[in-house]
Amino acid sequence: MKPILITRALTPVHQHTYGGESRFFAGLAEGELWATRCDNPACEVAGLAGHVFCPPRVYCPDCLAPMTWVSITEQAKKTAKIHSFVEMRYPGAFNTLPVPTVILAVEIEGMTTTLMGRLREGTPTIGMAIEPVFETESPSFTILDLSWRARS
Amino acid sequence: MIRMSARNLAIPRQMRPVYVIAAGQSDFRKKYPEKKTEELAVEAFQMLACENRLRVKGAADLRRWIHSAVYGHFADHFGDQLLGEALIHDRLGLDPLGNMGVKTGGATGGSTVWAAANLVASGYSNCVLAMGWERMDEVDTPTGNHIIAAAADRDYETEFGHSYTGYYALMAQRYAATLGGPEFRRALSQIAVKARRYAASNPFAQTSRRITEDEVEQSPILASPLRLYDAALMSVGASAVLLADEETAYALSDDPIRLFVAAGSHTLRAADRRPMEIPLLPHERANPEVLARYARIYGEGGERFPGYTGFLAARIAAYYVYGMAGVTDPLEELDLVELHDAFTISDVQTYEDIGLRPYGEGADFVLSGDAFHTNPHTGLPGKCPGNLSGGLLGAGHAIGATGIMQVAELLWQLQGQWGHFHARPEMWARFGKEFPHDHENLQVAGARRGLALSHAGLGSHVTAALLSRPEALLPGCVP
Repeated sequence: MKPILITRALTPVHQHTYGGESRFFAGLAEGELWATRCDNPACEVAGLAGHVFCPPRVYCPDCLAPMTWVSITEQAKKTAKIHSFVEMRYPGAFNTLPVPTVILAVEIEGMTTTLMGRLREGTPTIGMAIEPVFETESPSFTILDLSWRARS
Repeated sequence: MIRMSARNLAIPRQMRPVYVIAAGQSDFRKKYPEKKTEELAVEAFQMLACENRLRVKGAADLRRWIHSAVYGHFADHFGDQLLGEALIHDRLGLDPLGNMGVKTGGATGGSTVWAAANLVASGYSNCVLAMGWERMDEVDTPTGNHIIAAAADRDYETEFGHSYTGYYALMAQRYAATLGGPEFRRALSQIAVKARRYAASNPFAQTSRRITEDEVEQSPILASPLRLYDAALMSVGASAVLLADEETAYALSDDPIRLFVAAGSHTLRAADRRPMEIPLLPHERANPEVLARYARIYGEGGERFPGYTGFLAARIAAYYVYGMAGVTDPLEELDLVELHDAFTISDVQTYEDIGLRPYGEGADFVLSGDAFHTNPHTGLPGKCPGNLSGGLLGAGHAIGATGIMQVAELLWQLQGQWGHFHARPEMWARFGKEFPHDHENLQVAGARRGLALSHAGLGSHVTAALLSRPEALLPGCVP
């Protein structure tokens, strides 16, 4: 007997919170890039250069103390560069970006890690200097409110 | 900088030896409307019970030995069925034994084996079933890609393309630019070609058509520089292994294989991977040339480790399991490996993480011919054949089943039973396939030890399962 296949639709709507990381997304809508820094003097790692996180974390991953919010907007404008990039041609479902889109790993001086992003325009190369562009007109309050372009 | 203490780095222990004694699998297919997942699971269990020379009269008899079960299934989203573990446990007739589900993304199969092994090692159970499955054919491929990408950070990373291929492409791009060298693309293509070639001799595999390096390099770009044939296949399938303590193992089997398993981890965020000093493996620590090389690559102002070029979780899992099994020189001591080649790039990276080559020289493992069953340059046996099953690129990736399939393949190789499960026309006919006229014998002669690496995300979870013939235990293995 031929197997019977039925169709089931599943379209739940999630109301998702950014919780203590909300400042980061609020900042994008205001043209600010926020990061978090551990200022706990007892943290064995915080004293080392580069212990600033963007994406931000509410608690320091080393000592679990609450971190301090710091604006890195100027730093990003002056020092951001492309660590790696791809041209995405076959995105998955629910993608809202144009196809193809250039996706970036963004290196900002002083940050412990890189930040994923997208290039609005231009041809990417590794090491290329870039600057942030913020969607302040009609923000979606998602990570897509931040994009990057070649530094002017 | 992640720092680990001596206690963090303690070599894991098993309170008593653990053995793998049997395995069973369904075939992997892109679509499997003929069978429910429950049917695939029962059929894999039947193979495990009836075709591994166990001293039992069939599956019903084997059930009398089993004390608990661990099930691996990654994404409920794929099937819209929560807690399918309970449905399958019931279909296997294993109620009311204790069971649990394990979920660690692409490493789900490996983590299932890890959890099951620890149930035996701790003394809780003498005989444990580890089974995994995935059903990815209920949604179309873009939806499937989205579901998998939902296992990236939804707030910070998923939005960038809703596809894991993009994240791996970031790695491939960085690797190519910094460590890759002129032969890098050729190495990726050879990995894809090798996977499809070996899959063509595996009746459980999703693909059967051999491809050429040109075809790989002409295939559509998914996310530059990765192309269609650089990516694993989405599959439907089930796989199972049976683990036991020593007494039970020898009561049931003439040929049990020792098992050591360990696990490592490193964030779900591809871009947000914290750096760490390279945890050195024993053979690297003793090699001044390698140490000088690492100082050059990763020194002041150089590459970050693991950055976009390595997997910390894989390195840590290898560190632990080598310590457990007494491995001090993996390329010499391992006779074959089954690695998580979700993408060709991750295969190269993993060669380095598990020490088959130093960091930055992974491509040479395949280019040299070491990764082949028969070295294409010398005609002699490959030094440490990789993914003779066809791997995820060729055999397929039925997520929860994949890491268990790898252990199954190693078990049969170490028992000298590869031919029994791969080279009999009856096995091909079972899955509606014709025995290929150009079938290759991929049994590794005299295989003593093998390593299976199961891997999630961009290395969020990695398990390393080391199988060893009991008479070939290394002197340094934990008691």
